[in-house]
Amino acid sequence: MAEGNKETPEIIGFACSFCSFKASEMAGSLRMKYPEGVKLIEVPCSSRVDPAFIIKALMEGADGVFVAGCHPGDCHFIKGNYYTRRKIAALKEMFRAFSIDEKLRLFWVSASEARRFVDKVTDMYNNIKETKR
Amino acid sequence: MKGKKLKNSHLDSLFDGFLKEEGSIILGFKRDGNAIGHHIFKGSAKDYSLINPFFSANGAIYFRRLFSKGAKLLFILRPCEIRAYVELTKLTQIEREGIVAISVDCPGTESEKEKTDRASLPEDIRDYFKGDNKKRWACINCREKRGVVGDAGIRLDRDYNMWIIPYTEKGERLIETLEGELTDIPIDMAISPDRQTDSFKTDMDALRSDLKRCVLCMNCRDMCPVCYCVDCVFNGDEYLPRGDALLNKVLRTGSTDMPQGKELFHLIRMYHVSQTCVGCGACEEACPQDIPLTKYFKGISERLQGIFSYMSGRGFDEAIPYTTFIEDELKDAED
Repeated sequence: MAEGNKETPEIIGFACSFCSFKASEMAGSLRMKYPEGVKLIEVPCSSRVDPAFIIKALMEGADGVFVAGCHPGDCHFIKGNYYTRRKIAALKEMFRAFSIDEKLRLFWVSASEARRFVDKVTDMYNNIKETKR
Repeated sequence: MKGKKLKNSHLDSLFDGFLKEEGSIILGFKRDGNAIGHHIFKGSAKDYSLINPFFSANGAIYFRRLFSKGAKLLFILRPCEIRAYVELTKLTQIEREGIVAISVDCPGTESEKEKTDRASLPEDIRDYFKGDNKKRWACINCREKRGVVGDAGIRLDRDYNMWIIPYTEKGERLIETLEGELTDIPIDMAISPDRQTDSFKTDMDALRSDLKRCVLCMNCRDMCPVCYCVDCVFNGDEYLPRGDALLNKVLRTGSTDMPQGKELFHLIRMYHVSQTCVGCGACEEACPQDIPLTKYFKGISERLQGIFSYMSGRGFDEAIPYTTFIEDELKDAED
């Protein structure tokens, strides 16, 4: 269902509720801006994200998807993001085979890194906007 | 590596001896005239065949969800089928305790769909390795044709002598009952390790045009030996909406090809079986529309297994990559 003909790209972000989602809230309270096209979905841990969610988001019209979790070693559930890393690395390899790997990104953002979150998300947004043109 | 030289009479006595015990069965191939197919032997192993030159389904699927302890089973199957069985034991879909799995060197198979003339099937196992017949794409590009997986393997050397080689304790116990001494096996075998193929590369347009014919019958999912979830994500309306759910979705998003969600279905399935896919081509064999699925599933799975230096079904003690991790790895995973 490729209905992505809108002017601005839409990006779905899966954000870990303990770090990246907190970082996005902090960015809000510090009045930092990130693009409107970014829609965040809060997940209890980045390893909750089944790659099926990402494929579904992309096939149903999203222009990009990112998964944001805690830095390796800082997971609230001790080892969740190590699994995420393996799963997303493999998914990206699969997307590379289909030449759509620019649509998926993985970020490590801790709860205090609001600036880093905004930078990463904005960079991804601009990149995708560029390729859409 | 040590093994025992085999004669056909050895195998007859091995199988009949195994079947004498109460509650023991063999899953293998039965030859009935010119038809060969999977067969479960109970009581006697009459008319068994080590080789089946036609592929219809992956035999591991028949004993998926086998949890009974105490039963004694002997699998005498192709390497791809034994590899699927190994993966299923790791996924806790098969209780390994009572099972001895023997893989047999495979000369490659023809598709069961091809209506070839079967007037002249060779009587002797050796002749299968000599002829140059039409093979399936999956078999031409097979990653492991050698019987080197499972508890034991039956292999042929350059002069087409049969050898049985134990790989685990279970295999050793079974082979102990055979007459003859364990001797060093020859290094040169009839089937040598396969060359590495280039990593698979394609694009979405190619996938889309290949899937044009797909009718979403899901036969590929149902016949895949390692696609095992009881509650598949594609059951229900969440991923593949029908009726009201479809109407709502189309009103929300826009026009769409029908059946809707073909790429979604195959991409998700491709990812879900990526580490366990053995490249047997059962999906393509089950496809009524002749879509070249093996190309995609095998290509993607080999690429994804490559990242973790994993090979599906190679050994019982290798963990499936998504179920484990190393702390110090994949430094460049983050963008």
